[in-house]
Amino acid sequence: MTARFVRTQKELEGRYEDVWVLVDEADDVETWAPDADLALVGRPAPRQDGAARAAGRVRFTVDVHLAGMLHAAVLRSPVAHGRVRSLDLEAALAVTGVRAAIGPESELSLTTRAPLLAAEPAYAGQPIAVVAADTPEAARAGLDALALDLEVLPHVVDPQQALNEQRFTADPSDDARGDAEAALAVADVRVELSLDTPAHVQTPLEPHAAVASWDGDQLTAWVSTQGMFSAREELATAFGLRKDDVRVRTEFVGGGFGAKQGAGFEGLAAAELSRATGRPVRLVNDRHAEQLDGGRRAATRQTVRLGARRDGTITAIDADAVIAMGQGGWVMPVLIPARTLYHCADVRALTFPVKINLRAQNAFRAPGVMEGTAAFEQAIDELALALDLDPLELRRRNHTDVDQVSGLPYSSKHLLACYDRAAELAGWAGREELRASRGDGLLRGMGCATQIWWGGGGPPSHATVRLDADGHAHVVTGIQDIGTGTFTGAQIVAAEELGLPLDHVRVTGGDTGPNVYGPLAGGSQTTPSVMPAVRSASAKVRKILLQLAGDVFEIAAGDLEISNGRIRSRDGAIDAAVTEVTDKLGNATIDGSGSRGPNPEGFVVNTFGCQIAQIAVDPGLGEVRVERIVAVHDVGRIVNPLTASSQVEGGVLQGMAFALSEELVVDPTTGVPVNAHLDDYKIPTIADVPEIVIDFPHVPDANLPNVGSKGLGEPPIVPTAAAIANAFAHATGRRAAGLPLTRARVLEALA
Amino acid sequence: MSSYARPASVDEALELLGHEGAVVLAGGTDLAGQIDRGITTPALLVDLQDAGLGGVSADGDGVRIGATVTLAELARTDLLTPYAAVVTAAALAASPLLRNQGTVGGNLCQHTRCWYYRGEEWQCWLGGGDTCFAQIGDHRKHGLEEGDCISAHPSDLAPALAACGATIVVRSADGERELPLLGLYRRPTDENRSLVTLAVGEMVVAARLPAPPDASVYLRTGERRTFSFPLVSVAAARRGDALTLAAAGVANIPRALDPAEPLAGLPGHPQSAWKRTVLETLVERASQAVQG
Amino acid sequence: MTITLEVNGQRHVVDATGRRLLAVLRDDLELLGTKLACGEGACGACAVLLDGRSVNSCLLLAEAAAGHEIVTIEGLSTGRASALQDAFVAEDALQCGFCTPGQVVSATALLEQTPGPTREQIHEAMAGNLCRCGAYPKIERAILRAAGDA
Repeated sequence: MTARFVRTQKELEGRYEDVWVLVDEADDVETWAPDADLALVGRPAPRQDGAARAAGRVRFTVDVHLAGMLHAAVLRSPVAHGRVRSLDLEAALAVTGVRAAIGPESELSLTTRAPLLAAEPAYAGQPIAVVAADTPEAARAGLDALALDLEVLPHVVDPQQALNEQRFTADPSDDARGDAEAALAVADVRVELSLDTPAHVQTPLEPHAAVASWDGDQLTAWVSTQGMFSAREELATAFGLRKDDVRVRTEFVGGGFGAKQGAGFEGLAAAELSRATGRPVRLVNDRHAEQLDGGRRAATRQTVRLGARRDGTITAIDADAVIAMGQGGWVMPVLIPARTLYHCADVRALTFPVKINLRAQNAFRAPGVMEGTAAFEQAIDELALALDLDPLELRRRNHTDVDQVSGLPYSSKHLLACYDRAAELAGWAGREELRASRGDGLLRGMGCATQIWWGGGGPPSHATVRLDADGHAHVVTGIQDIGTGTFTGAQIVAAEELGLPLDHVRVTGGDTGPNVYGPLAGGSQTTPSVMPAVRSASAKVRKILLQLAGDVFEIAAGDLEISNGRIRSRDGAIDAAVTEVTDKLGNATIDGSGSRGPNPEGFVVNTFGCQIAQIAVDPGLGEVRVERIVAVHDVGRIVNPLTASSQVEGGVLQGMAFALSEELVVDPTTGVPVNAHLDDYKIPTIADVPEIVIDFPHVPDANLPNVGSKGLGEPPIVPTAAAIANAFAHATGRRAAGLPLTRARVLEALA
Repeated sequence: MSSYARPASVDEALELLGHEGAVVLAGGTDLAGQIDRGITTPALLVDLQDAGLGGVSADGDGVRIGATVTLAELARTDLLTPYAAVVTAAALAASPLLRNQGTVGGNLCQHTRCWYYRGEEWQCWLGGGDTCFAQIGDHRKHGLEEGDCISAHPSDLAPALAACGATIVVRSADGERELPLLGLYRRPTDENRSLVTLAVGEMVVAARLPAPPDASVYLRTGERRTFSFPLVSVAAARRGDALTLAAAGVANIPRALDPAEPLAGLPGHPQSAWKRTVLETLVERASQAVQG
Repeated sequence: MTITLEVNGQRHVVDATGRRLLAVLRDDLELLGTKLACGEGACGACAVLLDGRSVNSCLLLAEAAAGHEIVTIEGLSTGRASALQDAFVAEDALQCGFCTPGQVVSATALLEQTPGPTREQIHEAMAGNLCRCGAYPKIERAILRAAGDA
């Protein structure tokens, strides 16, 4: 490898930072042509580890059982705001089987920016103490023995109150271009819409979990995380270790959806207790803790004002969002849709991140943009109504190929094709006829929404490939497959480049041990970041293999090609199994490593799409049934259409639930969430599933070299709720004051 | 931690029930949650699975349903086909897994649903405390009656059985008594917060249905298509010209509705008043469905 | 109380005092395929077959399970279950895989009772097995496929 350092921009969910990246000058992989006839890429393939998952053989973090392992139990605040008056750690330690007990005043061997345990908890569920014991029962007995005495302090959970009292987690931001107020004043047509969107809990079925185990000064931690390298960094920093002395394992994750970042409280606490006791420690959230403290998409109240000319040109956008942040967290880009979906020179976007006594918000699939789209795209439909314009036509007329914030062109954008295709699949032309009664007492309607999100990925991201004497390749990545199927994507790309059958390639990841770095599974960055690295590594191995084949068959390597496990010469004289060359390796292997190159300069890499929802409303019950969702997303080259469609279905169902039933409700009197369990926080069942029709433009992004893929993890959740809400307005002629469309909201809107 | 016993007869079960802190265990699908949330702390669990309380049998013109018959069994028993409301209620309750375990007796005697009552962080009035947090807090899913406790009772089976004229057979060491199904319930009071009229040492052994009605139906709306407590549900049964209505989700116990004035006594609360509209709709549809 | 449990055709003596069947399966018998996801009977990830019917093992007292035939995902490795698992893989009826053992258990019981289920029957029978990743459309297809191939 001929290496150089190059300075480039790394993007994650719209946040840009300059990084140095290691670039391989010897990487001469040619980008696949849009119409390249690829053997495996773009064809449906079952998951590499599907059979093991279906048989219940895979081991998640919660399944890790180590000899001598202790069980940790966490004492969490029962109140929204309180001060610990007393905590009897000695009494906990006296319980048979308890081996360690730590509280806010305990001296810990780790150091963190914010204290691990709270002497003054600021939200219900915040960890106050942890006990580690031989059995889960002993740990619970230890918790009881702590005899927590808590002084209850006043709380604020109403975002409006927090706003009135100017309680912010960060400064309110004002992103403006041009003069929206002036433009609004002179607009031909104006609409205004105010909406509430709910707090939305990720609810992965495997809760946050960690098992930590020390061997001298070396730490191994299994963590149910989307970011094992971030976890490694956090743990190394906390304990003053070299990164090399920390190994994080996360081969299988039972869902994350954004909630599982880094080491988490679980990883840090388990490691601390393991250090203190000299035994492995397991810490797993029970479901109540998961729903209280695992994270959530923050509730918002948004107001959107739009101005337009009679011809449908949007001339003014003025949006504000009050985000019920909790105690902190990254201020999600709720107003990005307002600022970038359509062309407009005069825009104002005001964001108020208010501080309330709930856990800090964290990422949940397309954070900010999903809830922002839910409101903004409804305002666009209101504008279409005011202009007497078809909603899709209004969107087409305000299309832009240039990122409205930076002024840079998009690397690729096939949104117009998405509109057309979605309209065709949904029967958009028959939209008005749909509203005619079918005699079943239901009101029907159809609505659309535009999707925008990031998806370019970027460096650093590496992979290694090793080919053995059997002609089988082992690809080592630094990624976590949280259900997205990215291991299988890497398998496909490697097999394609190596010219091997799919089942001769095995991909591993989920382990920082090999020190092959990959990005966290978030921001829809895995596929665009990692597949190019895998391909580059594979290309190097292929090159070496062909050179060796040239030696064996006494022919120039340039006259040979490999496909489907066979090496052939261009003149057809040679047609041999790969093993005829590789079996001469004996115990040696052919190795190659690859890196993701720098991002293209002068472009913004986004994904785009359109979803159309068809719904039926039962006005007597206030029930909304989603009959059909059409989803068309431009994400560049699709590596595996089978797992790609699964991502779309998953995102659509979560977006649908946000629109219909999911809402974390907080008791106003005590500030404690009332439905932080699964019995009262209803996620969809199989019976709630509408018909989901999926398509993609399948046009690789020509400005993303090597593979041409953009990320697909988040785009599908972005427009679903807006499309459903717009369909509701179409069906009933009314707009609900917020989401979800509960019975009460629907009946109120229809009254 | 509770002790466990599995009596081989009803008499043995009743004897065990006489012990301090003894509680009957049938399917355990509600009891398990009560124990986990600290609502109930039994000293002894009396498992009824071998006590001979299963079975559905013809009973004169009607049917007798053993208390430990599971909801799944109930839904697929041919003898019950003429009681459409009961079959529907049994088939729609909870989830298929819960129906495989949950029993008739358990479903009728289950505790009410209110996120304050069930939540570990509140000691509400019904749970023995002083405050009904729902009335001062978020009661969007709660009942429509006024009173000390505005929770919404979640049994699907209760209104269906009630509408079809069922009775409940209760046994104690002292003997047996039979009462109308809705007589199993009582509104909680300051002195006694229990929602059932069972005395200590008493247990439900069977539900008895008279001859089937001319028609019956059970309609409900939940928070998703299936696997949801009934937000509002109505059971209707017609015998000749007489219509019987019963509802779940509108009071802290299952209750009858007056066909002439179905919303009587159900004024609602600010956040739960929407249920009145839904109740009206379900009453109308259910009444029409049984007219035939 | 010490009891004898029959799991996947084998008998085990365990100390079950106050414990749920799920904890005994996972902690004592190292049968880790059955998952604890909610502990309240709301998700079905803990599904096992009890005398052929799918139940929530997180609610079931181990003591109450004595005397019954218990089959976990590990016990479903031949015959219909294997074809069902193949169908799950072929149709991509799984994503993170955490709920998958429970899905397979309930689907196995369904196909045993109703060899040729309609979509409606599949929805009814599988409604107690939640999947947060959203594999439902493909779970339905996998069950139809396995039923069709039978």
